[in-house]
Amino acid sequence: MTRVMTLSDRLNLGSKQGPRIANWSITVLSVVLCVLMLPTRFPGMELLGVGPNWLLIWVVAWSVKRPAWQGAIAGLVLGLIQDGMTATTPSHAVGLVIAGVLTARIQKQRFLQEDFISIALIVFGMAVLSETITALQFSVHAWINDRDSIQYSLSRIWYYHQRIALSSAILSSMWSPVIYYPLNRWWERIKAVEP
Amino acid sequence: MYSLRRWWGQYALKAGMVALLLSLAWGIRQTNAGIFLELYGILSRPFQGTPDQVDILETAQARELQQRVVELESENRRLQELLGYRENTSQEGVVAPVIGRSSDHWWQHLTVAKGSRDGISVGDVVSGTGGLVGRIVQVTPNTSRVLLISDPSSQVGVTISRSRSMGYIRGQSESRVVMEFFDKVPEVQPGDAVSTSSLSQLFPQGLPVGVVESVNLNRSPAPEAVIELTSPISRLEWVIITPNSRMPMPEDVIPDNAPSSNESQ
Repeated sequence: MTRVMTLSDRLNLGSKQGPRIANWSITVLSVVLCVLMLPTRFPGMELLGVGPNWLLIWVVAWSVKRPAWQGAIAGLVLGLIQDGMTATTPSHAVGLVIAGVLTARIQKQRFLQEDFISIALIVFGMAVLSETITALQFSVHAWINDRDSIQYSLSRIWYYHQRIALSSAILSSMWSPVIYYPLNRWWERIKAVEP
Repeated sequence: MYSLRRWWGQYALKAGMVALLLSLAWGIRQTNAGIFLELYGILSRPFQGTPDQVDILETAQARELQQRVVELESENRRLQELLGYRENTSQEGVVAPVIGRSSDHWWQHLTVAKGSRDGISVGDVVSGTGGLVGRIVQVTPNTSRVLLISDPSSQVGVTISRSRSMGYIRGQSESRVVMEFFDKVPEVQPGDAVSTSSLSQLFPQGLPVGVVESVNLNRSPAPEAVIELTSPISRLEWVIITPNSRMPMPEDVIPDNAPSSNESQ
């Protein structure tokens, strides 16, 4: 708490606006960091050519203690950014929005304890879910469009899905504390400062 | 009306914030996240090093040369038949370091640290140490994005260098691709060199692609062969980008429509 206050003092802002602006900049900065981590493949962050889904980890960390609509908006914003980073069809936003809403709706206090393991578990489930939604979107595309001219045929979509979903889920859940722990600490402190 | 105004008074800031965020994200999506690519390029600059040709795997280079020889021999024979036909294909390339991979698991992309300032444009041909790697699909001032030929949406017209049997390859998200032949009984055997064909709409003719690993002639509807790509796509550190002499008309681009519709056309 004291650290937050000194930070806002150092930013030379009013006692009310200081933490809020610091909070926004830390939040935006963490998103930018996650986006910049996407194209990297550091040793230990790769399994079958697949890396952790950093944006999904961020959405889960954000939505865990927030209402569902905030989770949905975070998912939408980050999904649009990821669309820009790769390709726009199928959209990543659908999977991330659903992941955000579901994470916010999970009754954690009843079923899960607030620790790394439960966050890793949620990330695991959401990674599988969002990759499944991507695969479903591909399938719909394959169904509607001419089957010869599309990117994947139906059988190969689900073959890739197995591989991608599993490696992405394992890696994302393993790396989730790296995003969740500092962000969660920060937001808890901010909550204690803000009225 | 009153309740609406009260709601607005209460949540105006939040609603404005959300609208701002969403429009920002939409802008990023429409510009293909160019700003993030640029930022990424700047941040990765200290780790790029300088190109060292000695570093290049000698075996891969030898294989590439071998394939080029087969290709040239075959082409030479045909040219002699035609007598007088000549094509100028020698072009200078830009050497670019690879700084990133795809940002998603469903696409096979590379990010390289050379962009429009170095004269790179969309559609340029990207080759690695052993042969063809892919083509440029997006350019920012200092970075560009490469769609690899191992991406499932990439389809490239290729030919067997020895027998000129035609076909096309599609990516499998791995270092192997599948070649489908146009002929019912193609003349092909394991070990044959594969290069881009004159029917390819995206790439110039005669670029080495890979080596036939196995052949399945009983495959329906068309015979198939598994091609091992000569360039080590999963551990590329440097690529060479050459201007493309064969830029397709937008309506000519048949094979790749699904994910790159916003990028290539």
